Amino acid sequence: MIEIKDLTKKFGDFTAVDKLSMTIKTGEFFGLLGPNGAGKTTTISMMSTVLLPTSGEIFIDGKKLDRKASAEKRKLSVITQEYSMRQDMTMDEVMEYQGRLYFMSRKEIKQKSEELLEFAGLQEFRKRTVRHLSGGMKRKLMICRALMIEPEILLLDEPTAGMDALSRRQMWNLLRQVNVRNMTIVLTTHYIEEAQALCERVALINRGKLQKLDTPTQLIEDLGAFAVDETSKDGLLSKYFHDRDEAIAYLSQAGPDASFRATTLEDVFVDVAGQKLERK
Amino acid sequence: MGILTVLWEKWVEFRRDFFKITAAALITPVMYLIIFGLGIQTTSHGEPYLHFLVPGVVAMATMTGSFSAIAQNMSVQRLYEKALDQVMVSPTPLWQFILGQVIGGSLRGMYAGCIILLLTLPISTDLTFNGLSFLIMFLNGTVFSTIALVLSFLAKSYTDAPRYTSYIIMPMSFLCNTFFSTDQMPVGFRQVISFLPLSQSCDMIRKIANGESAGWLGFVILAAYLAIFGFISVMFIYKKKNL
Repeated sequence: MIEIKDLTKKFGDFTAVDKLSMTIKTGEFFGLLGPNGAGKTTTISMMSTVLLPTSGEIFIDGKKLDRKASAEKRKLSVITQEYSMRQDMTMDEVMEYQGRLYFMSRKEIKQKSEELLEFAGLQEFRKRTVRHLSGGMKRKLMICRALMIEPEILLLDEPTAGMDALSRRQMWNLLRQVNVRNMTIVLTTHYIEEAQALCERVALINRGKLQKLDTPTQLIEDLGAFAVDETSKDGLLSKYFHDRDEAIAYLSQAGPDASFRATTLEDVFVDVAGQKLERK
Repeated sequence: MGILTVLWEKWVEFRRDFFKITAAALITPVMYLIIFGLGIQTTSHGEPYLHFLVPGVVAMATMTGSFSAIAQNMSVQRLYEKALDQVMVSPTPLWQFILGQVIGGSLRGMYAGCIILLLTLPISTDLTFNGLSFLIMFLNGTVFSTIALVLSFLAKSYTDAPRYTSYIIMPMSFLCNTFFSTDQMPVGFRQVISFLPLSQSCDMIRKIANGESAGWLGFVILAAYLAIFGFISVMFIYKKKNL
């Protein structure tokens, strides 16, 4: 279990994360959703100790996480938004370095490395340096590297950024598979359909503050499960309804451009971010 | 264990860039030896100048080799590649990572120093280089590796590393007992310069080369630098909030 208590991170006068508190259960697939600059990456960076908080604490299974906490860090693996790898190392070397940093034996490193690179379809490129890999291949390599150590907690910061639709779907399937093994997964993403498809619970953060935290279904129901879109002189306007009949009644009185649909997590996101659309 | 991991990483880097590393370690010191030692043939204290120059160039090569191995590499890893994040997240104790860097950096410095020694072998200088000389070279390398670590943790851009070389390494190369004795320097300035680590390393290696005792003060000064900068490096990696 991960407990985050009053986590705050300031960069000079700017508060990137503001007294964030939440609990992530063991084996949960948890999403951190928010607009650009919401504080998602900063939160993940603090959860991986790359950044230290200005105040507040993070606990893993009741033990405080800091840079000295080797036992807690052993449980963690991170896939960062940027390609955080030595550019001059080959894939094999990247995997071996990771294994060595986690005290794996050479036999284990070789075995896991071959298994994962094969699984990701990277086997034939294993002698190629990171510098000479495509963006998608680098992303896959980062996933292989993170899974190599069989972590209990996987932190994913925009893991599918830059991937094509097919690769993204393959990634989703992979994440579902590893989550079945009771691995706790914390995911930040810009792709709302990704969060809706994968996450059991979602925290919506904006300007470093936690706005909402619940299951995607509950967040949608709180806003109103039924939406009617209308085009007005101010642009697209969505109205949300808890009751289907009420939504249909409204639609019948609305203009010819109005349309009825189910509310999505994107509506909740936009509502929280306070952008583009107006709430009823 | 963590130390071996870092040394493995350094070995991978060394193996891959062997020719580049060797060429970089060779060019500048060899130029100095050719120009000042063989080209402009002078004497110093009644001895061929080359006898004075070789120990200084060996110490300087050790310093430059160690410093550049760490400063450039760590700045790029931290600020450009973000590869340091992989280490920060891992359970490898960070003090072991620092120690591995210091030893790895020093070995690179030793390699640069040894190349110079090998090159001067055919020149008959009658200079002595023994186990203690190599120990001083190693200690000198560890000092400059820790200085490089501190500076690379302070760097705001990966282009800062070459600047540090211009601000720190270049002046030390010329002023610290490498090419000329600090005895002729003005009072005050001379004392400051003589307490810099390269001055001490040059002095000790030169004394051994001439068959004299290296004394103990130089070891104490180098150990003090190592302790101070080593401590700062460890503090940075554990406590710096925005590494």
